[in-house]
Amino acid sequence: MKNFSHFPPIWRLVRLGMLQVLLSCTLVGIASARSGMAQAILERKITLQVEGQTIKATLSQIAKQTDIRFVYSQQLIGAERKVTLRAQNEPLASVLDELLAPLKIQYEVSEDRVVLRLPSKPTSANVSAPQDITVTGRVLDDKGEGLPGVNVVVKGTTNGTQTGGDGSYTLTAPDQGTLVFSFVGFNPQEVAIAGRTAVNVTLAPDTKTLNEVVVVGYGTQQKRDVTGSIASVKGDVLVNQASQNAVSSLQGKVAGVQITNNGQPGSSPQIRIRGTGSVLGDPSPLYVVDGTFVDDISFLNQDDIASIEILKDASSAAIYGVRAANGVVLVTTKRGKAGTPRINYNGFVGVQSVTNKVKMASASEYATLINERNAAQTLATNLPSTDWFEEISRTASVHNHQLSMSGGSEKVTYSVSGSYLKQQGIVKNNDYERITARLQTDYNATDHIKIGYSAAFTNTRSNDVPADQIFYQAFITPPVLPVFKANGNYGDSFDYPLGNFANPRATLARYNQRSNNQRLVSNVYASINFLKDFTFRSSLGINYGVGQYRNYQAKDSLTTTQFRQRSSLTSSNRKDSRWLWENTLTYDKALGDHRITGLLGISAQRDQYNQIIGSINDVPYYSESSLYLGLGDPTTARIETPADKYTFASYFGRVNYAFKDRYLLTATLRFDGSSKFSSANRFGIFPSVGAGWVLSEEEFIRDLGVFDLLKLRGSWGRLGNNNIPSNIAVQTVAVGAGAPYYTGIFGGQPYFGGNINSLAARVLDWETTDETDIGLDLGFLENRLTAEVDFYNRRTNQAIFDIPVPGSNGFQDPTTRGNYASLRNRGVELSVRWNNQVSEKFSYNVGFNTNYNQNKILDVDAIGAQIYAGNLPVGGVQTTLTRPGLPIGSFYGYVVDGIFQTQDEINASAQRTVAGLKPGSFRYRDLNGDGVIDAADRQVIGNPNPRFNYGVNLGFRYGSFDVALDVQGVAGVDIYNANKGVRYGSENFTKDFFDNRWNGPGTSNEYPSAALGGTDLNANTWYVEKGDYIRLRNVQIGYNLPKTVVSTLRLQGLRFYANAQNPVTWFSYKGFTPEVGQLRGSTGATSAGVDLNVYPLSATYNFGVNVTF
Amino acid sequence: MNIPSSFVKRGIAGVLGTAILFGGLAACKDSFLDVAPQGQQEATAFFTNQAQAVQGVNSIYANLRAWPLAAFAYLAVTTLTSDDADKGSTTGDASFLNEFDTFTFTSAQTTIESYWNGQYQGINLCNQVLANVPPINMDGNLKNRLLAEAKFLRAFHYFNLVRAFGGVPLVVTPSSVNSTPEQLNPVRATKEEIYTQIVTDLTESSAVLPNTYGSTDVGRATKGAALALLAKVRMYQQQWNDALSLSEQVMALGYSLAPDYEAMFRVAGENNSESIFEVQAQEIQGNCDASNSQWAEVQGFRPNGWGFFIPTADLVAAFEPGDKRLPATVLYRGQTTAQGDKIPDNAPNPYYNKKAYVPGPVGACGYGKNQNIRILRLGEILLINAEAANELGQTAKALADVNRVRVRAGLAPITTTDKTALRNRIWQERRVELALENGDRFFDLVRQGRAGTVLRAQGKLFVDGKNEVFPIPQNQINITGGVLTQNPGY
Repeated sequence: MKNFSHFPPIWRLVRLGMLQVLLSCTLVGIASARSGMAQAILERKITLQVEGQTIKATLSQIAKQTDIRFVYSQQLIGAERKVTLRAQNEPLASVLDELLAPLKIQYEVSEDRVVLRLPSKPTSANVSAPQDITVTGRVLDDKGEGLPGVNVVVKGTTNGTQTGGDGSYTLTAPDQGTLVFSFVGFNPQEVAIAGRTAVNVTLAPDTKTLNEVVVVGYGTQQKRDVTGSIASVKGDVLVNQASQNAVSSLQGKVAGVQITNNGQPGSSPQIRIRGTGSVLGDPSPLYVVDGTFVDDISFLNQDDIASIEILKDASSAAIYGVRAANGVVLVTTKRGKAGTPRINYNGFVGVQSVTNKVKMASASEYATLINERNAAQTLATNLPSTDWFEEISRTASVHNHQLSMSGGSEKVTYSVSGSYLKQQGIVKNNDYERITARLQTDYNATDHIKIGYSAAFTNTRSNDVPADQIFYQAFITPPVLPVFKANGNYGDSFDYPLGNFANPRATLARYNQRSNNQRLVSNVYASINFLKDFTFRSSLGINYGVGQYRNYQAKDSLTTTQFRQRSSLTSSNRKDSRWLWENTLTYDKALGDHRITGLLGISAQRDQYNQIIGSINDVPYYSESSLYLGLGDPTTARIETPADKYTFASYFGRVNYAFKDRYLLTATLRFDGSSKFSSANRFGIFPSVGAGWVLSEEEFIRDLGVFDLLKLRGSWGRLGNNNIPSNIAVQTVAVGAGAPYYTGIFGGQPYFGGNINSLAARVLDWETTDETDIGLDLGFLENRLTAEVDFYNRRTNQAIFDIPVPGSNGFQDPTTRGNYASLRNRGVELSVRWNNQVSEKFSYNVGFNTNYNQNKILDVDAIGAQIYAGNLPVGGVQTTLTRPGLPIGSFYGYVVDGIFQTQDEINASAQRTVAGLKPGSFRYRDLNGDGVIDAADRQVIGNPNPRFNYGVNLGFRYGSFDVALDVQGVAGVDIYNANKGVRYGSENFTKDFFDNRWNGPGTSNEYPSAALGGTDLNANTWYVEKGDYIRLRNVQIGYNLPKTVVSTLRLQGLRFYANAQNPVTWFSYKGFTPEVGQLRGSTGATSAGVDLNVYPLSATYNFGVNVTF
Repeated sequence: MNIPSSFVKRGIAGVLGTAILFGGLAACKDSFLDVAPQGQQEATAFFTNQAQAVQGVNSIYANLRAWPLAAFAYLAVTTLTSDDADKGSTTGDASFLNEFDTFTFTSAQTTIESYWNGQYQGINLCNQVLANVPPINMDGNLKNRLLAEAKFLRAFHYFNLVRAFGGVPLVVTPSSVNSTPEQLNPVRATKEEIYTQIVTDLTESSAVLPNTYGSTDVGRATKGAALALLAKVRMYQQQWNDALSLSEQVMALGYSLAPDYEAMFRVAGENNSESIFEVQAQEIQGNCDASNSQWAEVQGFRPNGWGFFIPTADLVAAFEPGDKRLPATVLYRGQTTAQGDKIPDNAPNPYYNKKAYVPGPVGACGYGKNQNIRILRLGEILLINAEAANELGQTAKALADVNRVRVRAGLAPITTTDKTALRNRIWQERRVELALENGDRFFDLVRQGRAGTVLRAQGKLFVDGKNEVFPIPQNQINITGGVLTQNPGY
């Protein structure tokens, strides 16, 4: 770009003026030099009337009338294009201008010939040609506000700039050139300069989203070129959601992505993409934040996120090879843009409260039930009642503040942000604090070398509560127990003939644990563009975390069951580090109708984790400052040092090819090696191929005039999952500090022992997932209506299962791991979106997405080809069965046929031989009709895998107001309500149970008596309930202060918003929440949907303000 | 074509940089991907020296203190089923245990599975030693002794299994990742095959084990322990000649009755002159995980202990007036012990097992962590000898044995010479001498063929032909795909 900055200002003006004079003289000169013969030809008169006729035919008509010849390349000028033209005795020049100018065809008269050509590609010579002028202007958005960061380029050149903070720009351009304005999210616009020095432009938002750029693995791609299934969510959608974790904000937004929230502050929601495709451990996707692999993104403030892309199918995810089987979530954070600094504050304050609380039996109801249960007057029915949920929970506050600044010049762009979040838990004593700081810089060292980095630092601090235990305790603890006794001591179950129950308030009071974690996620890169089409990029990502917690259990005597003879202090320090070094070489070339992008890459990764956990007794408590291990009794000191380490080496490549923007092809190959597997079978190959056909580019579809977009795409690929512990196939020994229970005692002294008490996993290989995807992208009515449909079939082979081994082998862990099964997830995804800008003031959009997924086990290599799981902690009850033909972890048990009303009914039934059965017990159906109820009378009684997930997203904008509303739901899913059946004795009951129980002949044929126990606790249909729900996920109302008011405040923008998250959830399930993840204390998808966790839902109400300075 | 030289340079730099970085990364791949498990010992480096052989055997003893072998599962199956014990604690506490008191348990009862798994976990530890120690280059005598200890302990576990279930899978080699599916999923052997293995293991180990150990090895299996257990096994098999001669061999090893019956069950009385085999327990304050025996804790009086498996009124009534063993076996509600502990007047149960009583405050690791579990002692050997002698018509010998035990208890000698009457007296003596000590009562009643009569009289729903053995855990039948067959009636 030509730059006059080396001239002093006055000289610059003078020179500019002189230049213009000079330029116009030159142009006149050229014109007059031509005038001789050409002028005469151009003045020949023409009369013509054509309608929808090809250019070729039109030109030949003109040629006849004027007796000249046209010279052109039919292909180049697109001579088959149809035109309409009307001329009545007009000069040739104006007819040609009228005909050719809109088609961007230039002409030149040479003797008796007119040569047609497309505008010549400017060379570096004519960029600095003397006809350049300085153009200034401002780019505005549809609301009339300045748009910073818009690319302004002189068409056909690389000469360009970006708009500044207020949307203004200055650049030098040929006076007859064309400026192209482009900005993500807006329709690009071309404006002829036509000699003007001021060009102001208003960009219209891109409602099509078709030219949208999406982030793909190791690069970006135009959405229309994508052959796979990628869901893209922009940062502004997340900002409407005032949640603390960006993943949580995705709930109900993306078809095929199921998100299960967890109410604990600082915790991460569970995310499953296209069903449960993996059985063992964590079937979570891979998260990639700006190229760095992380395990979860709770360290990010969602205001820092520019976009989240979810790679759902094999074609898009296969570039991540052995880590991609559960999908990939790509997070791109905001980067600075050239222009004046943009400073923004966004903050909200809010409250959270428990919703959908299950009503428990009161003291008198409980006493009635216990007396019925024991058939004796165990308790008086007039005892005062304690509502334990009320006692442990509270209305909690949350507030979050973020301040960011971004900007830069053409050389350097930057973005800096900091945020502070403070969230109380809905459980008393629980709070969480997070500070984030982010710094990011991109530096264009030369025109071809770019370097940059991003670094995000997060510090979290929390006061913890035993969240898993506390809600369970509140559920089971008898309401007859007071919080405090008259003498001020904690209410004690020893005072009642009920068994041992912890006082939940005492549990909270004695629990003293603090955690503090720091994490740095950073990435530094350099890229060099060479030999015109090649870019080499090297990036190093570092993810470094340290964490401490200390747990102090004071010497206390709170109740008979909650006492501690000696105090105990546990202190832990952990450090994890991961580096990821990746080098990629990209080739990008457009040749006529062909566009090709090639990528070759190589990557190495090392993960390491170390922890030191020390514990000691008798540390005195003077203040928090005395809680150090050094102050305890040295003879009681213990230390543990868990650690892990693993590495990856990978090679990968991808080719994207597009022909005429119509036929698209993507092929990827990744070759991955991991230290988690033995050297013999450590490398795997993960190929994928995807193809797309943009039918709407074809004449025959375009002629229909129906589709703005019609794209058919299909892909197949193979993905891997190595999300398993390291070295599990190595047989290890239980010995030393890791196996203190193997200490032999002889002569009163301990002697350390060790032995082999486990069965090494028979893991031969990682899981592979073969996935086929067929999709259709549609756009109608000027793309106001868009839709995407996908059919997928994911087959997970060699799924790593924990399969039970017979107890006679004598292993401590009764399961072993190996590639024991294959399973399938098959489904359909649909998203439909309607966007309408009704008027300048009013616009709205409606989105709907849903998916149907069917999960099925194809093969199990376990003994007996079936796995019973979902073990409840009482009575040996197993609730689920996984075997070929069934969805994974199907509920399995007896069918309840009513309640025995009398002993005579029992005596006449198939259950007469069951010892101790009483009226009020379940009558089970004799499925095989053999007159005996036994294990053979069980069947599948429910499916914990949701068949439908759906979301509805509505948005309205009227003038300064906007409203967003999200509804989300799950249908076709069952929950095993184990809370009802895990009964050791005198646990509390729900009010629902009290109201509906059997308590004498004829009282109920559905609910059992309070004495339920024995075979009543076996898995049966009474415990299985519908888990469907619909939730008002998020409602937000925003108000943008009018421009006039804002500018008097010297601000760029000011917005107020109010937001409600999860205010209402409708469900019939009788537990606390229909969002049931994993059975408490279990791992693996074979024990999903069994509710023994009873963590209530909470609603959050926020009020926020967003200021741009 | 005119290409600027900077363009060329950049091209070369780019190509070179790419090549170097790609090449460098590719070159380091092999060693880079070899990462051993962190902080874990690989099995290939274990069982390679003498110290590890000793560690392997130590672990088998340590495992005897584990929850399924020392606490709920063991006590529920062996004791709560008998007429000696009630569930105890409060009404609602662990009410599932009532199923053992009433014989309403089904094959789904996990406590039975816990018993099953616990015994087999011990057997695996023995099998690991027996398979992996022989090749170790070490002191030959020590090696033989360690192998003999492992055989003794394996026999002990199988004896617990065969009495509870009848025939069970006979596993004598450790399973590994190389085991065939059939090896991993064995069928049930017959009761006789299990007994044959027990007798072989005990016979072999008794030939090797020493009579006594030095002070640092007290608690390891001795020749006396192996012979005593074999005598008991022979009694259960009604092999009276063997039972008689084996018990006599034990009696000849120098054990003597402890003068004070009650003192035997205090911590100070552990490993006394009468003791033949005890599970050693010790509170190690810095390592509560090694102080893991909960035998005394679950039975200790409330609120210090958990107060389960309490003496029945029937057991209390079974003692003759003046029997010193009664106050040594039963703690009463409201009682203040000689050591000064007061059982609360409002304790939920009338009686507690005094053999599990550990005086003083609850320790840092919990209640009663110092209390050994008494497995075999001379008192029982005398009664085995007596029972065998009576069955073989050696009445005088039988009377002499029984009366040694009675006299210590402060009771008058018995004189009956009628075989049946004497048999009943020996059985009665066996009940009160060993009450709530090591869970033989239920198995004794079954062995004596009178379990149904005795237990139904206590209101239990014992079914003849069914409840003599426990059900094979349904979960195990499921896991084995039905390879394990169920016992009759379940």
